[in-house]
Amino acid sequence: MIRIQNLSKQFGSFVALNNLDLHVKRGEVFCFLGPNGAGKTTTIKLITGLLQPTSGSIHIAGIDKAKDPMAAKRILGYVPDMPFLYDRLTPPEFFQFTGDLYDLPRSMVSYELEKQFTLFGLNEHRKTLIKDLSHGMRQRLIYASTLLHQPDVLLIDEPLVGLDPYTIRLIKDLLKDYARTGKTVFLTTHILALAQDVGDRIGIINHGKMIALGSLDELIADSSQASDLEELFLDLTAKEENCPT
Amino acid sequence: MSDVTALFLKTRCKLANSFRIARDQSTFKWVFVLLFASSLVIGLWALFYHGFVFLDSLGGPGFMIIHRLFSLFFMAMGGMLVISGIVTSYATVFRSDEIPFLITGPFHISSILLYKFFESSALSSWAFFFIVVPFVGAYAQYQEMTMFFPVVTLLFSIPYLLLCSGIGTMITLVAVRAMPRGQILKAMLCLLAVGAGLFAWWLLHEANAYMDDEATFMLSKLVPGFRLSSNAVLPSWWLAEGVDALTKGFWLRGSMLFAVMLSNCLVLCLLIAWLGGKIFYRAWLGVSGASGLSSRKALSLPWLDRSLDVIARNTRALILKDVRTFLRDPMQWSQVLIFFGLLALYFANLRSFRYHMLPDKWRNTIALLNAFSVSAVMCSLGSRFIYPQLSLEGQSFWVIGLSPTNMKKVLLTKFGISAISLGTVSMILMAISTRMLGLEPIARWITMLLAIAMSIAISALSVGLGALFIDLQQRNPSVIVSGFGGTLNLVLCLAFMLATIVPIGLLLHLQIMDQISERQMLYGLGIGLCWVTILTTFATLVPLTLGINKLKRQEM
Repeated sequence: MIRIQNLSKQFGSFVALNNLDLHVKRGEVFCFLGPNGAGKTTTIKLITGLLQPTSGSIHIAGIDKAKDPMAAKRILGYVPDMPFLYDRLTPPEFFQFTGDLYDLPRSMVSYELEKQFTLFGLNEHRKTLIKDLSHGMRQRLIYASTLLHQPDVLLIDEPLVGLDPYTIRLIKDLLKDYARTGKTVFLTTHILALAQDVGDRIGIINHGKMIALGSLDELIADSSQASDLEELFLDLTAKEENCPT
Repeated sequence: MSDVTALFLKTRCKLANSFRIARDQSTFKWVFVLLFASSLVIGLWALFYHGFVFLDSLGGPGFMIIHRLFSLFFMAMGGMLVISGIVTSYATVFRSDEIPFLITGPFHISSILLYKFFESSALSSWAFFFIVVPFVGAYAQYQEMTMFFPVVTLLFSIPYLLLCSGIGTMITLVAVRAMPRGQILKAMLCLLAVGAGLFAWWLLHEANAYMDDEATFMLSKLVPGFRLSSNAVLPSWWLAEGVDALTKGFWLRGSMLFAVMLSNCLVLCLLIAWLGGKIFYRAWLGVSGASGLSSRKALSLPWLDRSLDVIARNTRALILKDVRTFLRDPMQWSQVLIFFGLLALYFANLRSFRYHMLPDKWRNTIALLNAFSVSAVMCSLGSRFIYPQLSLEGQSFWVIGLSPTNMKKVLLTKFGISAISLGTVSMILMAISTRMLGLEPIARWITMLLAIAMSIAISALSVGLGALFIDLQQRNPSVIVSGFGGTLNLVLCLAFMLATIVPIGLLLHLQIMDQISERQMLYGLGIGLCWVTILTTFATLVPLTLGINKLKRQEM
């Protein structure tokens, strides 16, 4: 579903991503792990098109992002780690705004609004301006509006930031269910337990290079020392940094 | 080390870093900026100098104007600085991302406000030096004065700028504290009504006032604020009189007036610090939302939503978002309302000045001057509101960037909204002006066409350059506006205004001087309108194309 080939990104002389190759399959929850500054957010932003690659290619469901970005954007959904939204709109207005940008019929937007607002507990905030919402509520609104056009590929940067335990459970279930319907979920996280819980496959990135890739069982089996994901992560990233574990 | 010193040291580090970054910029950019700034100063200098020579050639009344021009100029600058101070201090003192950090740190609230006041003053007044320097230079050259004159003026200008900016900051502080959140609309309307009432009273008073001296009477009719500028209570008068006294060798009087200026400035700083300690924290809580949610229902505009049903969904989404955002931000719409409201009041009262009884040629000239003032307001609004629009999308811009809506449509929609809004308001104003002056239909059409050309070009320049110099990280509109792109935009808008209005004005001037015939005048107007059309097309297409290309490559 997502095919990344020789993807590189440089910011001036700094290499944020170095010849990344990756294939994420349909119906898969893929978790991307890595220390701070490893290149996770850069990768996700390159897939969304919010950043332009220095070299390499990205194909989404067979569509070349560079050649037909509009077609790729139609089947992508993105939840960023920081919920920056239009502060002076109300949640239903933002929802409608998103629907209009994706050229969805009003009847569909109205139906989805009732469904998603109920699911994410946004009904009592319908008349509040977004600037007055809490971080968690804004994050819920982003989830609701991202799911509005039912994207084939859902990209999430740090899915649990600022969410309460109830919403965390909701999101975890939602991600697994979403992948079961044949959609693809690509997420970056620092929370290893989340990757363990929902990830079908895990990729570990450091200094812009993929250093491990496979299912949790495969990764642990490949490692001589680690018995769980935490040990594996620390072992791999410490080796890269030449630090004692 | 005191907390204010620590804050200023931080600013010094920030400035040093900015300078280091600027030094690494391309030489072309440096050369361009320097060339542009020096051309602006030299151009304005020449303009002011020839203005003085022209006034001198008028004889008696001209001499009277020159005599009072210094205080009149600084009074006008002061008025603009107060307004600029109100706007900038709101963004700098209340909306800055730095405030929560400062409030939770070991800083006195009064120190925070004092520090932010200096920052706001710097942001709101640096551009004024680009007008003050050529004016003072030209004045000194015309009066054949020594270098002592500009030095003394600069010395007086610093406390004067702080004083004006400080008044603006205090108005903002008191207004924000006094107006409960959610009732800003009501309060602003009341303020506007009071302001409009005072202005109308002033216009009528000026129109009917009786004076012994006929020349002074006539001049006070022609030059708004002519009498007011010599009021000894005004800081602009202290400046004008102080500089005059010092350059003429009256040291005691000059020093006394400087001391008056400086002591008032220092008292104002103390007042700001004191007021900051008393009300700033509560006022900030009110603005930041920490003291409760807005009680007023947001304006939803369902009629606009319905009436836009006929256009493409994504275009409608962009229009509705921009209109709602604008109308829900009192700082934005209130400034537009004040600027255009004052002009509308002035135009509506043109008959109080008996201008409609003047000969045709003079009425045409006044109409052109009115077109000039409407255009100047459009230039400043274009730079203040339209230019930073794209940058102010900020980190929310990912929502549009991710959607299957192309950037060309985003930019053209913003251009369309701006051009239609500016065009509607400026045409209404021009219609009031020409009607009040009782102009011929052809003159009415010319001013209308000028208003349309200005609206289109200013919108295109501001939207296009706004995209070309987009800065999605910056949330303070004052910083965006006062950057390189914002300054370039303002200068280009003003240059376009001069390039379109001056040729038409020149024709009118030649006609007044009886140097061209009626037939030549008509030919000239035809050529002038072709020139305006070509220039408008160029000023529209080039920045929009550059802006679209930049947005297509923009990373978020």
